Amino acid sequence: MTSSPVKAQAAGRDGRASLKQFTRALGAAIVVLVIWRVTTVGLAEGYPASFWISQALNGLVLGGVYALVALGYTLVYGILFMINFAHGEVMMIGGITGFFALQFAQARGWMEGPWPVVVVALLLIMFIGMAASVLIGVTLERLAYRPLRQAPRLVPLISAIGASLFLQYSVLLIFGVSPHSYRKPALISGGLRLGDVFIPYTGAIIFITSILLMLALYFIIQRTKLGRAMRAVAEDRSTASLMGVDVNAVIVVTFMLGSALAGAAGVMLGFHNTVVKFNSGFIPGLKAFTAAVLGGIGNIPGAMFGALILGLIEAIGPSALGIPTEYKDVIAFTMLVLILIFRPTGLFGEVLSEKKA
Amino acid sequence: MLILESVHTYYGHIHALKGISLTVNEGEIVTLIGSNGAGKTTTLNTISGVLSARGGGGIYLQDSDRNGRGQSTGGDHGIRLDRLPAHEVARLGVSQSPEGRKIFARLSVQENLAMGAFARTDQDGISSDLERVLELFPRLQERLTQPGGTLSGGEQQMLAIGRALMSSPRILLLDEPSMGLAPLLVQQIFQIIREINAQGTTILLVEQNAQAALQVANRGYVLETGNIVLSGAARDLLADPQVAEAYLGI
Repeated sequence: MTSSPVKAQAAGRDGRASLKQFTRALGAAIVVLVIWRVTTVGLAEGYPASFWISQALNGLVLGGVYALVALGYTLVYGILFMINFAHGEVMMIGGITGFFALQFAQARGWMEGPWPVVVVALLLIMFIGMAASVLIGVTLERLAYRPLRQAPRLVPLISAIGASLFLQYSVLLIFGVSPHSYRKPALISGGLRLGDVFIPYTGAIIFITSILLMLALYFIIQRTKLGRAMRAVAEDRSTASLMGVDVNAVIVVTFMLGSALAGAAGVMLGFHNTVVKFNSGFIPGLKAFTAAVLGGIGNIPGAMFGALILGLIEAIGPSALGIPTEYKDVIAFTMLVLILIFRPTGLFGEVLSEKKA
Repeated sequence: MLILESVHTYYGHIHALKGISLTVNEGEIVTLIGSNGAGKTTTLNTISGVLSARGGGGIYLQDSDRNGRGQSTGGDHGIRLDRLPAHEVARLGVSQSPEGRKIFARLSVQENLAMGAFARTDQDGISSDLERVLELFPRLQERLTQPGGTLSGGEQQMLAIGRALMSSPRILLLDEPSMGLAPLLVQQIFQIIREINAQGTTILLVEQNAQAALQVANRGYVLETGNIVLSGAARDLLADPQVAEAYLGI
């Protein structure tokens, strides 16, 4: 009798070992299949280099947007260990608000003015979108998540999904089904042509702005007293409170930062895709979540790189695999599944401690 | 300076502190001894506001003009702590070095110390306190840029005490500073506790190592399953046959 638990343990170990072997073999098979498909179909098409470069640039732009949104997921996860599934809607509301700010600016003729006026107006529009997202993000935290702080971890997750649907359909009810079209001012329509490669101005602006915002966030987190408090709260809430840190205030600030980035992404995506409607945050939100998982959720540089990698894969993937572009979402979410199977802690993730896992 | 009056604390339905009353006077080292589960850590966490007291008495921090930090007092008793959240208690100058050290593993040693001074804005005071802490614990000086998690147990304990000191506390709550340390280090830690006290910080020390604790303390309280069963001058407690039998392992 005494040996039976030992035996069971050994069997468990064997089971885990054979599962590991199985996933390894599966992984190898997938890699071989992808390489085979790329060489026989994707490369066989013989696209010119400029085509691949254009696709890669598109991917970086997409990745920049995903990164801004992914940072919101990762920041909140880092502190509360919950996935804020309403984060895509926070972004969408930034986009919608940006649309109305743009209308206002256009009605005043600011968009046809001299370029400094247009630039200031565009910055103002982005700022207004960010402010709206911050307002929504903070409200979400207060109403949908804080009351559930002590509840089992699944509960705030369900609350987040509910909040996501609530926000989508509130916007649908208020602003209607039809998409709102951003009209780009002349200053940022068009783009640069380098040989055969065309770079739309909005793409370049999105990429550069994303990088700047990410650098600003990194600076706040790593170099300021507030950032230090955020990292301390992420590690150990109750000890941080012993240091005089108001934990609730830090959590609110975390939501503010994440939501502001999402709002900026929403406005920029509005200008780039030219349309925004009630559900236009949903898929990008899930993609950004995928990016955060890809980089290792809770890990800030991981979210940035994960998003850029996901953007690149999504842009290059369909042509490389020789499948229609409409399937790019399939590629992104297949990535999510593969990451969860093969490397649940993400590409840059650390092994999660018991507390977080 | 710190007064607990019949404090009750519960974990859910479990009655962990059953009416604790104790006093810590300015400049003293007071120790709280007792076996596992007696409620020592619970007492400190209730003072700090991590746990909340229920019903009955209260916890009061009396004004002292020493650092000019006192607020208007609520009567003779001073500021009432047991209605405040932990971060506000910390801001009033009650600083805890928690059980198990609770170092921020991914923050550097320097950042850990800076977290201790989180509530302060007097840059001059902070840098002079940093100097003082690094003088007390020269080992930390060598490790300033290392992540806290890479320190040894003894170094982490030093960091935990140093971090608590960085708030320039009116009263320092030390929870099991000797736990898990080699005997030589234990001696060193108690030496430092004496030194900190000599420099003017009031200390409430929780210990399982009753012998060592009573040797550095002025007064002591013996805690047993949520009740204070004995109290008195540390010297007398050391000589008490009951204490000797139960806690000193003689």
